[in-house]
Amino acid sequence: MEEESPKGRIEVSPAAIAAVASRTVVECYGVVGMSAKTLTAGLAEILQQESHRRGVEVRLAGDQIVIDLYVVIEYGTRISEVAHNIMRNVKFALERSLGTPVVQVNVNVQGLRVSNVD
Amino acid sequence: MTLLLLMEDDLASERHCLECDGRTLAELLVASTAWLEQHTTEINLLNVYPVPDGDTGTNMCLTMQAATAEVAKCSDLSAAGVAHAASHGALMGARGNSGVILSQILRGFARSLDKQATFNAVDLARALREASATAYKGVIKPVEGTMLTVIRESAEAAIVAAGGTDDLRDVLERVLPAARESVERTPSLLPVLRQAGVVDAGGQGLYRIMEGVVRCLHGETLEAPREAAAIAALTPPEQGYGYDVQYVIQGNDLDLETIRARIAEMGESALVVGDRHNVKVHVHVSDPGEALSYGARQGALSQITVEDMQEQYRQFLAAQALAAESLWSGGRPSDTSTVVVASGEGLVKVFESLGASAVVPGGQTMNPSTQEILQAIERVNGSRVIVLPNNANIVLAAQQAVGLSKKQVVVVSTKTVPQGIAALLALNAGADLDINCQAMTRAANAVQTAEITTAVRAALVNGLNIQNGSYIGLVNGELAATGQDVLQVIREALKKMEAQEKELITVYHGNGVEPLQAQQMADLIRECYPGQAVELVQGGQPHYDYIISAE
Repeated sequence: MEEESPKGRIEVSPAAIAAVASRTVVECYGVVGMSAKTLTAGLAEILQQESHRRGVEVRLAGDQIVIDLYVVIEYGTRISEVAHNIMRNVKFALERSLGTPVVQVNVNVQGLRVSNVD
Repeated sequence: MTLLLLMEDDLASERHCLECDGRTLAELLVASTAWLEQHTTEINLLNVYPVPDGDTGTNMCLTMQAATAEVAKCSDLSAAGVAHAASHGALMGARGNSGVILSQILRGFARSLDKQATFNAVDLARALREASATAYKGVIKPVEGTMLTVIRESAEAAIVAAGGTDDLRDVLERVLPAARESVERTPSLLPVLRQAGVVDAGGQGLYRIMEGVVRCLHGETLEAPREAAAIAALTPPEQGYGYDVQYVIQGNDLDLETIRARIAEMGESALVVGDRHNVKVHVHVSDPGEALSYGARQGALSQITVEDMQEQYRQFLAAQALAAESLWSGGRPSDTSTVVVASGEGLVKVFESLGASAVVPGGQTMNPSTQEILQAIERVNGSRVIVLPNNANIVLAAQQAVGLSKKQVVVVSTKTVPQGIAALLALNAGADLDINCQAMTRAANAVQTAEITTAVRAALVNGLNIQNGSYIGLVNGELAATGQDVLQVIREALKKMEAQEKELITVYHGNGVEPLQAQQMADLIRECYPGQAVELVQGGQPHYDYIISAE
């Protein structure tokens, strides 16, 4: 993402944007893991703490930001609601820190984790 | 949500309640939902995390209502049967972050009861612990200072309480204050709450639910508020923080569908209504220009309003802060607010710690505008405001702001920072403005102030020959001393202030002075004035190396 001003240019790299997004996602209630996109859903491997941002893809269409997230959700939560919460939380956190509209946050649920057996 | 118990006979009984059955659990859930509904607005106003959209109370209510609706349909009236029904209902009806967490809490609670027909105090404590554990498992990185903290600390309190009594009501009565304290601690755990001056909304909701349970156990009948308005969420600020644009297009043969489609592409919350001659447009956009130009090409524009949603958001936060203050200050919010002008990190802290409601950045060589002072006056709570300009050059701007505000405002004409501090100390929040104004003016006038800085050009003033770059000392705004040695200048200034006759000398050192250097200076002053208490404060102010007061 770039911004020109008379005093110079500001460039925010996709990696920096991804870092903000992944920090927000791991605090989203219901998200128990992030998973790399390349893995198919059945094999979704939960990423270790350090590599959470591999579960975040940042795409720039012009100066518009599109975020794709690959997450693992806790079994037994309402998945649609958790996904909506992720969208809202990530959009808010990014727009607050970047000051640029985030046009889309796409949540891909790569798997469910059963940590509570009823 | 959580608890539930029962007395052996009827709910109003003052006898021991050792076991809770499913029917009672259901009643408690209904009562706590009703109590939560009564506090929806309060909870909505606290909502700042993770997204400040003002809907936490509404979401928790809807989730609890889904839980109780499922309980009403449930045929298994064992405690476990009711708990599982509530858990299922909450899962299906979970709304928002708080709702999803609530559903996990109910789920853990139900699982712990397994197939029990009734539960006792120990079962309750264990169920709460399981509720907490289940809730914590549902997120990679649990954030403390939220509902999670409140359920965990409540469960811990229940376990301790259940060790000392087998009466369910006793246990819950000990859990409730623990939950409240836990809620009160949330701002110390989550910085975003501290900055907004609120407790966590979800935590407060959880507390209200538990409170509803305890009230029901005491035989109170809790009913949901009748007016549906209480449940309506505050209109949340839009997340784009752009502009709210509205206008009416007048023209011939306007194409409503095309306009609607085009406006919808520009931003969010688009609303386009009308007919071929008049079309009303409302949209939230980041660039209002585009929406306005487009409208102007379609026809004549009228009733144009463009509002900064960031400003709306600030107003929302102000309303929130007000709600939080009246809720948690433990008393009436102070009726009289204060707006002070100061610069320097240390001085701002001093003023804030003395209770200043707002600090406008400014001081020597950086005078704030009337507009900035006015904005601070409008921003602070309360209808009565006292302004402390703390600089002779700012008094006028402050007085101009008085006439522009609808609030009752007075300016106490403090000309230096120490005068402002003395005035603020004299404030009596309960007294009326005139009395405060007199008391604060008196206090300000009792303080002698010296300001030490360096001359930026040579001059001859008050019979003193000042050289460029030399130190100058102003006492109460008048040039009193000059020289190459800062200690010498300070000594002369102190003599003019008749510091010998005073009790307390306070030295605020500026951002151009090293703390060690300032410490040495304070020590030297102590040597000269052994009869006075000498205090050193890191003021961090620009421009003045030292500001010294004697009182």
